[in-house]
Amino acid sequence: MSGIRAVFYRDYRQRMTNIGFVFWDLFVPLAYLVLFGLGFERMLGSSIGIEEQAFRYTAFLAPGVLGMVTFSVAMNTSWGFFMDKDSGIFYELLTYPITRAQLLIGKISFNVLLAIIGSGLVVALGHLALDAPIRWDLLPLTAIIVITATAGWFFLFSVFAIRFARMDAFNTVLSAAYILLMFFSSMFYPLSDLPVWFRVPAYINPMTWQVDLLRFSLLGVGSVTPLLLEGAALGLFAIICLTLAVRALNRAAD
Amino acid sequence: MTSAIEVQDLRKLYRTNTSQPVRALDGVSFQVPQGRIYGLLGPNGAGKSTLVKILSTITPLTSGRAQVMGFDVTGQPLASRQQLTVVLQQTATENLLTVRDNLLIYAYLHGVKSQEAQKRMQNIAEEFELGQLLRDTVQELSIGTKRRIQVAKIFMLDAPVIILDEATTGMDPLMKRRVMDRLRAEARKGRTILLTTQVLSEAEELCDTIMIIDRGRTMASGTLRELRTLSTHMFRVNLSFADTNGELVGRLEALNPIQLKVDGNAVEMVFHGEEASLLAKLADVSRDTPILQFEVRGPTLEEIFITLMKESR
Repeated sequence: MSGIRAVFYRDYRQRMTNIGFVFWDLFVPLAYLVLFGLGFERMLGSSIGIEEQAFRYTAFLAPGVLGMVTFSVAMNTSWGFFMDKDSGIFYELLTYPITRAQLLIGKISFNVLLAIIGSGLVVALGHLALDAPIRWDLLPLTAIIVITATAGWFFLFSVFAIRFARMDAFNTVLSAAYILLMFFSSMFYPLSDLPVWFRVPAYINPMTWQVDLLRFSLLGVGSVTPLLLEGAALGLFAIICLTLAVRALNRAAD
Repeated sequence: MTSAIEVQDLRKLYRTNTSQPVRALDGVSFQVPQGRIYGLLGPNGAGKSTLVKILSTITPLTSGRAQVMGFDVTGQPLASRQQLTVVLQQTATENLLTVRDNLLIYAYLHGVKSQEAQKRMQNIAEEFELGQLLRDTVQELSIGTKRRIQVAKIFMLDAPVIILDEATTGMDPLMKRRVMDRLRAEARKGRTILLTTQVLSEAEELCDTIMIIDRGRTMASGTLRELRTLSTHMFRVNLSFADTNGELVGRLEALNPIQLKVDGNAVEMVFHGEEASLLAKLADVSRDTPILQFEVRGPTLEEIFITLMKESR
């Protein structure tokens, strides 16, 4: 069995021991879309305009909720390193004949499947119940963005999970990251109407790149040049984070 | 004979928050020929686990060289790991999974094919009395059983080098004996075993060659016979008296033994010094209290170890 397949199988067996956790990953974004989306839609009253097209707020929010899916799955997967540390298996894993990159990619592979299923549920709900005008022809692109983003976030969070000895310190960093990365992005609102001091950090936030790309692949909105740049940046972000995570694993016992 | 493990002038510095880095290994060198059992002894903090971590590629070395089956642990970490199966000091099991999954996943992660892994899992489970527990979740089991699973896993593989860092800690004596027998059998088949232990009798019984390290430096190394020659002025004396009383024990204590044990009328002492002078002193004692039995032997590994540690501190 190849290294990645073996780690995939290991993570699958582990995740299946706690169905509640899987349920949480899959259904919380749906609740967000329905409760948060509909609540804000009622409050805002009118539709949101992007590039001279009008969208219901729930449709505007759907790509952001997909961003949330990737983020939560990545967070929960990286948290698994603490479980491995607790059981003592973490260092033993590093003695196995697989590369550090195989370990990381194998670990996220099963969870990427969860992110794809979670995203599928969000898209289905958005289309069937909330009338989001989904671009079905671009669904493969949506899947690629979800895969890249889930992996990128996981590699980033893994660096902290590997380096941090204390789970409470890790949770504090993740909670801060959750707030900052979600709200300093185009997830909940269009950035064009916001002040410059807000827009600058938002534009260098990978969450913005991801949500803009998803908004294009799901609703067909966005300009080509910025989207190409954001796509390249998101890919680069995933590769850099993988490199950093591999380095962290190589120095894990130091 | 080709070396399975080769370590040359190995140094490891750990950076700390204080200005002075910790020197965990300070110029350690040794070779382990294929098919031999090599014991690494030392007190806590001697550098044994650091050495194991470097050989298993968990931690990088600071300087020097380490090779496993000819593969450099720094330059060819994956190839080195492909030669190894390791039991680390810390108990390591997949606690959320069943015993069966623990054994199978370990084999899969070491590249054993599914069907072969199933077969080996059944054999190992039987040998290590895990058959009845295969469906149990590991987190519900005792620490001793977890340790048994951890050690049983290594026999699922054929990797040429086995590294064990205090692997038998927490095991019951019967299981410990079984593991030791199995290790001996594996060495006979040509596998190389490097083990660290604090149980000196275990090393004495199992190891072909022993290295004693302290504070990252080699204190002594060789076969047990060679180590004994290092302690030529050390003697273990077994005496038997018709009667032992406080006065006799006081006189024996006055001879300054390294160790003195009185069990009924039997006395066991370890001395460091000249044999002739020791015999003269004992002859003196026997004038007042006749010695019924008298035996002088070389030191045990434990006695050599204690003496070396005392000398180094």
